[in-house]
Amino acid sequence: DALLGCHRSYRSRPTHGIGKFKYLLPKELPKKRKEKVRMKEIDAGTEYQYGDVNIQMTSHDLCLVEHFAQYVHRLCNRLSIRVNESYAMPTKTNEVLFMEERGSKMQLDAVLTTHQRVIQVRGLSSTFAPILLEIIQSSQPEGVHLLMKEHTEADFKSRLKARPELEELLAEMS
Amino acid sequence: LMLCYFSSCSSWLPQRVPLRGSHWQSSLLELRTSLPVRAQPKKKKKVDVRKEQAQKERMKKKLKKLEKAAPELIPIEDFITPIKYSDSNRVRSLPTLSAEESERRVLLLKKWSLFKQKQDEAEKNAIKCLVESQQEALKELRLESEELYEAAIRRDEGLFPFQRDGPSYTPPLPGYDPPEGKCVDITKVYTQ
Repeated sequence: DALLGCHRSYRSRPTHGIGKFKYLLPKELPKKRKEKVRMKEIDAGTEYQYGDVNIQMTSHDLCLVEHFAQYVHRLCNRLSIRVNESYAMPTKTNEVLFMEERGSKMQLDAVLTTHQRVIQVRGLSSTFAPILLEIIQSSQPEGVHLLMKEHTEADFKSRLKARPELEELLAEMS
Repeated sequence: LMLCYFSSCSSWLPQRVPLRGSHWQSSLLELRTSLPVRAQPKKKKKVDVRKEQAQKERMKKKLKKLEKAAPELIPIEDFITPIKYSDSNRVRSLPTLSAEESERRVLLLKKWSLFKQKQDEAEKNAIKCLVESQQEALKELRLESEELYEAAIRRDEGLFPFQRDGPSYTPPLPGYDPPEGKCVDITKVYTQ
C-alpha cells in the first residue's frame, strides 16, 4: 500500500518504472457498441444523374447469384461507379406441390429456395447507365433474373423484421 | 277535474315512466335525470376516467419502450452454416496425383486464365468502343442542334425499373401440358 501510495518516480535511477506491467498485456480495444440500423438518406439524383439505383439479382442457384453479384460489384469498382451497399435479401423458400395424375392428393415435388442479392449504386450518369445495363445483360448467367430499379424506403423496410406488437399498439392509439 | 287530468296523463305517458308518485319528480316529461344523483353512479364515472387514463399511460409507456428498441435486420439463412456440417470430424483424404495429372491440371489452369484474360480484355474494349461512339454521336448531335443535345443528355425516366430474365439452357417445349399444382411459401417469418 505504501508502495502504491508514493508517487515519486526516480527517473535517474535504474529502478524507474518498476512495477509497470500494462505495456506487456495485449491492447484492449474499446467496447464496440451495437450500431443502430438506420436508413441512409436516399439520393434523388439530378437531371443528368440517377440517384440511388438498386441492381437486384434473383435466382434459385445460390453460388451462381453470389458470383454474379461479385462480378457486378467488381465491374462497378473498375468503372469507378460508387457502390453504396452490397447486401443480400432474406431467402425465400417455396414448396412446389403437384397433383397426381390418378388421384386427388397433392404430392410434394420439390423445395425451392430463392436467393436475392442487391447492389446499390449512386451517381450513374445518364449517358453511361444504358452502357452499364448492356454490359450486365450480356454477361447475365442462366436462371438469374435481373431487376434494376430506384431505391425507395419500402425497399429498405422490407429488410427489417416485422414488429406486430408495435403496429398493434399504433393501431389502438389512433 | 284533477282526477280526469291524472287518468289522461297516465294513458299518454309511456308505461315505463312511473307516475308522479314521488315528490322528487319535478315534471312528468323528464325522466329520472331530475332525481338527486346518489353517490354510486358518480363513483363509476370517476373510476372509469381514471382507469382509462391509466390505461392510456401504460400504452404510451409500452409504445415508447418498443420504439426505443432499434429495428433489426432479418437474418439471412444463406450465411448461417447449418450445425450438421460443423459437428462431424471426418476428413476426406484425397488421392495423390501423378506427375502427368498435375502437369495436365497446371496447363489447363494456364489455358483457362488466358481464356478469361482474353474475355475480360474483349469486355473492356467493348465498353471503350461503346463510350467512344456515344461521345462522338453526342458531339455530332451538338453540332446539329443544341436542343436535341440537351434532351439527349437528360436522364431517361423510362429506363428504370428494368427487368430481364436470364437466358435458359433449353427453350420451353411447345405443346407441353404441365400437371396441376401450387406453390406454397414456407419462408420463416421473423418478428421482433
